Amino acid sequence: MADLEFQRQALVHIDALYNFAMYLTRRPPDADDLVQETYLRAFRFSHRFQPGTHLRAWLFQILRNTFLTFYRVRERESPVAEDGVPEWDVPMFHHAPDDDGTAMDSHTDLERALRRLPEEFRTVLLLAEVEGLPLEEVARVMACPVGTVKSRIFRAKERLRGLLRDYETR
Amino acid sequence: MSDGFDESSDEILSRRLAGELPRYAAPAHLRVTIVEAAASPARRAAWLGPLLSAAATAMLLVLVVLPVLPRIVPSDPAQRFVRAVVSEHSRTLMWGARHGEILPTALPWLTQESGIALLKVFVGDERLEFVTAEPVYLERQRGIAIHYRDVDGHMLTYIALPAPGLTVPDPARVQIGRWRPALLRDSGFAAWVWKQGEIGCFLVSDMVSADDVERFKEYFGRVRATTEPVPMY
Repeated sequence: MADLEFQRQALVHIDALYNFAMYLTRRPPDADDLVQETYLRAFRFSHRFQPGTHLRAWLFQILRNTFLTFYRVRERESPVAEDGVPEWDVPMFHHAPDDDGTAMDSHTDLERALRRLPEEFRTVLLLAEVEGLPLEEVARVMACPVGTVKSRIFRAKERLRGLLRDYETR
Repeated sequence: MSDGFDESSDEILSRRLAGELPRYAAPAHLRVTIVEAAASPARRAAWLGPLLSAAATAMLLVLVVLPVLPRIVPSDPAQRFVRAVVSEHSRTLMWGARHGEILPTALPWLTQESGIALLKVFVGDERLEFVTAEPVYLERQRGIAIHYRDVDGHMLTYIALPAPGLTVPDPARVQIGRWRPALLRDSGFAAWVWKQGEIGCFLVSDMVSADDVERFKEYFGRVRATTEPVPMY
């Protein structure tokens, strides 16, 4: 397990990780679980962290990988959404039904449009535009080349603009 | 150009993403939960390590010390011999003979191994079937063990070994024909004990009931009359 200094440095980023987790999972209980699991994994594998590299990006990477692991498990468990709800809207950790009042409300069209993007587009915008990570760090988090990150940002913004236009014309 | 078109520009969209999206702060309890969860395995490891280490040390000490601990043994030499031959008999019952050999071809080998020569030996009859013979080491003496099985399936073990300190206890002696062996019991087994010169002789079996003892006497007579052990060296 990690030493106290590493834990202290890692916990500085808890708010950023929680914000990211909220936009990925859409539910506070799931975000809680995801962040907690992220930190436990980070502490357990702290010896693999290379000092001098970006701790924040490393934590984002763990969080996203953890999310995708659970997300893929969930996809295998319930491949068909019978009620027509997009499959990423069902609870990730199966704590409670969707209508328990804990789901995140969309405050703005922008937030609602972001939530409708596929995960790889949402993540790339959250990391690059919201959290301000350099493209190289985003590429590391997403395990893809920087060129792919740029391409995804471009396409994500296009999709986002389209969704915002739809909201304005309603 | 419309407002919508202005907002769709890259720069404005980036600014909106950075400035308009609500940020969600981690609840206070989450930090506490993480810190506690991270600390709990360390606390467990703090006592688990020393405990395992102490347990391993204790086990090692037991293994080292156990063989040299004083054992509770009967002070009476006869009872001590009986306990030893009963242990050998029960071992044979559970595991069989170590080196089973067929009489009489094995006699030279048995004599060489035990230092006891059998001038005569009971090789079995219609009631007692010879099973096997082997050298044994009991009470720091090398000897001979011969195993028989009767028609009812009872196992009998005859053991002969040098026993200079052995005195056959008079109160336990029983008259059988012209002999007066002692009948001793140990751990649910019965044993006839007698001496032939410096050789202590034992016949062990689980025949302890009143009816069995009568038959056991008969078996003693058969073995005693036809077996003559003498020290070879």
